[in-house]
Amino acid sequence: MSDSEERDRPSNDRRSGGGGRKFSRSRNVCRMCADGVEQIDYKDVNTLRHYVSDHGRILPRRRSKTCARHQRMVSVAVKRARQVALLPYSAVHVREDAS
Amino acid sequence: MRSYELLFIVRPGLDEEAMAALMERLQNAVRDNGGKILRIDSMGRRKLAYPIAKQTEGHYMILQAEMDQTVIRQVERLIALSEDIIRHLLVRMDDEQE
Repeated sequence: MSDSEERDRPSNDRRSGGGGRKFSRSRNVCRMCADGVEQIDYKDVNTLRHYVSDHGRILPRRRSKTCARHQRMVSVAVKRARQVALLPYSAVHVREDAS
Repeated sequence: MRSYELLFIVRPGLDEEAMAALMERLQNAVRDNGGKILRIDSMGRRKLAYPIAKQTEGHYMILQAEMDQTVIRQVERLIALSEDIIRHLLVRMDDEQE
């Protein structure tokens, strides 16, 4: 989906090259769609870990390759998990802990 | 009545007796107000991702129940009054899970 935007952008794209497509069309299929995930449990910390950065921030869709629907479910689940300290709000807390 | 899942974190220092009493009080609060308990589960003692009430660990407990507003009000009141429950989260289950 995001790659189509890139192809349409004329700036640094060799227009009249004729040498075929510059960008290989990589299909970004949401993995959770492929797996048929219907809900995401906020208690499932191990799964949610894949969708947050090392600092505990929710990864943007372009990084996590999720569709809009599943990204929405991920973000709700992560936010719930944060409320009950299953996931950190930020990495700062961790460092405070260690020192 | 809707189905809800209540997750709450109990202070780790609590002994088993007090824990049992706490669970008893919660269950009564649900039943006495016409709620129906579906499942009670423990996620065990876990490290908190950040400190809550000066604690770094906590017992995670789950209570799933059918409740209406009266029950919820009573249960939340009980939780608010309890010093042993340091955090809770109530979410609707209906269209989600199980």
